[in-house]
Amino acid sequence: MSMVSEKGHIILRTPRQGLALRLPVWGMAASALLVCGLVLLFAASMVIGSYDIDLPTLLATLSGETVSKSIDNVVWQFRMPRALVAMLVGAMMACSGAALQNVTGNSLADPSLVGISQGAALTVVSAIVVFPGLSPDVRPLLAFVGALCVAGLVQALSAGQRGPSPVRFILIGIGLSAFISSLTSAMLTYGNIDRVMSALAWLAGGVNAATWRDVFILSTWSMALLAVLLLLSRSMAALRMGEATAIGLGAEVRLVRLGLVAIGVGLAAVSTAIVGPIGFVGLVAPHAARRLAHTGPALHLVLTALCGAFLVAAADLIGRAAFAPIQLPAGLLTALLGVPIFIVLLRRSARAQY
Amino acid sequence: MALLLMALAGAICLLFALHIAVGAKPLPLGTVIEALLARDPKAFDHSIIWDLRLPRALIAITVGAALAVSGALMQGVTRNPLADPGLLGLMAGASFAVVMTSLVFGPAMTNWAPWIAALGAFVTALAVYAVAHWTPGGPTPLTLTLTGAVISAFLAALVSIVHLLNEDSFDNLRVWLSGSLSGRSLETLGVTAPPIIVALLLGLALAPRVTALAMGDEVAKGLGIKTGPLKLQLLVVVVVLTSSAVALAGPLGFVGLVIPHVARLLVGSDYRWIVPFSALIGAAFLLGTDTLARIAIPPREISTGIITAMVGAPVFIQLVRMRAR
Repeated sequence: MSMVSEKGHIILRTPRQGLALRLPVWGMAASALLVCGLVLLFAASMVIGSYDIDLPTLLATLSGETVSKSIDNVVWQFRMPRALVAMLVGAMMACSGAALQNVTGNSLADPSLVGISQGAALTVVSAIVVFPGLSPDVRPLLAFVGALCVAGLVQALSAGQRGPSPVRFILIGIGLSAFISSLTSAMLTYGNIDRVMSALAWLAGGVNAATWRDVFILSTWSMALLAVLLLLSRSMAALRMGEATAIGLGAEVRLVRLGLVAIGVGLAAVSTAIVGPIGFVGLVAPHAARRLAHTGPALHLVLTALCGAFLVAAADLIGRAAFAPIQLPAGLLTALLGVPIFIVLLRRSARAQY
Repeated sequence: MALLLMALAGAICLLFALHIAVGAKPLPLGTVIEALLARDPKAFDHSIIWDLRLPRALIAITVGAALAVSGALMQGVTRNPLADPGLLGLMAGASFAVVMTSLVFGPAMTNWAPWIAALGAFVTALAVYAVAHWTPGGPTPLTLTLTGAVISAFLAALVSIVHLLNEDSFDNLRVWLSGSLSGRSLETLGVTAPPIIVALLLGLALAPRVTALAMGDEVAKGLGIKTGPLKLQLLVVVVVLTSSAVALAGPLGFVGLVIPHVARLLVGSDYRWIVPFSALIGAAFLLGTDTLARIAIPPREISTGIITAMVGAPVFIQLVRMRAR
């Protein structure tokens, strides 16, 4: 085994050089940093809240001791699933944004900006209002169908004679999301008030009612979808250089595009189904990841997921701690943070002419 | 052209009568006309008409005309077919300003609402334009629309936070924020109507120069128009129209986008005609949608803003598609 360092990479080779591993130092460092940040954030969201728990007690509780029944309850039943759901949702929305930005060739694409989250919201709200007996388990599926329909519609409507244009994609997405939001509001004014209230609680985009079941659903789906996304990451890198180059490099462009759209939509839909729409994470996280480290596509995806997880978990923690006892949904805080970043990005990347 | 104008005026009268006649208690047209011409203070039906339905119909007319003209002028000045006071963030700015002031000073400021809304709309308009101006491509339809959309999202998030922090005191604002024409009195209309009428007349007076401006800044300068001052005047007119409309009816999206295009289809690209036609078509459109909003699902009422978005968004999409060819 030999180790050589070369231009920001560490290269590990087996003695006869049959196998070599090229590790980007800075990228690894950045992900390690983010993981540490996440662990700290996790601990903070266990400790902070209306019921004070100090760190030793927390560690004891986490290691399985029962310090007191109520502390056990607060940590295991309330705070931990909530923190985990926030992180999972953040990672999923972030990767969804990365996939959509890649497939549309548009660095401003975000599932909540182009109507995908709104499509998911519409199907779930109509299910809650019209068929209240439906079990919450089918919500991810419904959300997926709604989101997929919207994505297909945006894609079809923006396909002009000169081929799909990333700019038209976004404008049509904005129009379509306005239309869908009006349908959702109509559903909310028309529906039975009790059912509407439960739909409204879901729509605010908060993770405050998170349970272990949500954690379970989210982790299953994200595991499956993110694994496929990682497999596609090489083709994503090829696609970033343009369709012609990607074909020349031997990527199955049509198949990859289809896969990326399905995964991007799926990730956004599932997380929307569980916690409601959370905006701008999909936009911000991929850019933040790129800023942190220039890496290959697979590591970029990992960094993106970590950034997204950190963002949403932090937003949730701030939202529930800053104005306690009032809880601000994480989705509002991510919007407040995301918009200025969007404007900075717009200034940089609006070279795409209309 | 004159014939078309007459036909439109007739349509508005008809829609006006219809708007008043239908509702939770349907009234025959005869009663409506009778009540409007000679009010009998003792007749119950007459009170319904004068106190509830007439203000609402008048507000629909005013707001529709104001928003449509404001959209038409914006589209002319920015040479941007996608310009709309809602899409470019003016409405979000106006609502944000109203919500914030009623948070600080309490809800007893109805009379000031139009001016506060105007200030909010003005500042937001400048902010959106400035951001779009600083982007590499300049203020293109794309950058303006995107900036408007995200700044609206930002202000909407702030408004929701304020809502959550003060749940009780915002019940009345909540209805207003969804763009509803219900529950307004003639007094509110009395406060906002004068500025709207003045701004509409100013818009009409400036319309010929907007036609020149729509052909490009160079052309307008060549025709001897001082483009800088003209743009500023038009911005003031647009802001007054939008913010008074928002103060009256809350944010109603897409009216300012769709109506000028309909007017353009009818009368071509001369703003001397586009502006008055937009005003009339806008008034008729909002009367129609508001009637629809009241009778679509009988015991309840949909917010008018929902219906205008349902009608307007597909038109917006079609416009984007047409530009692409």
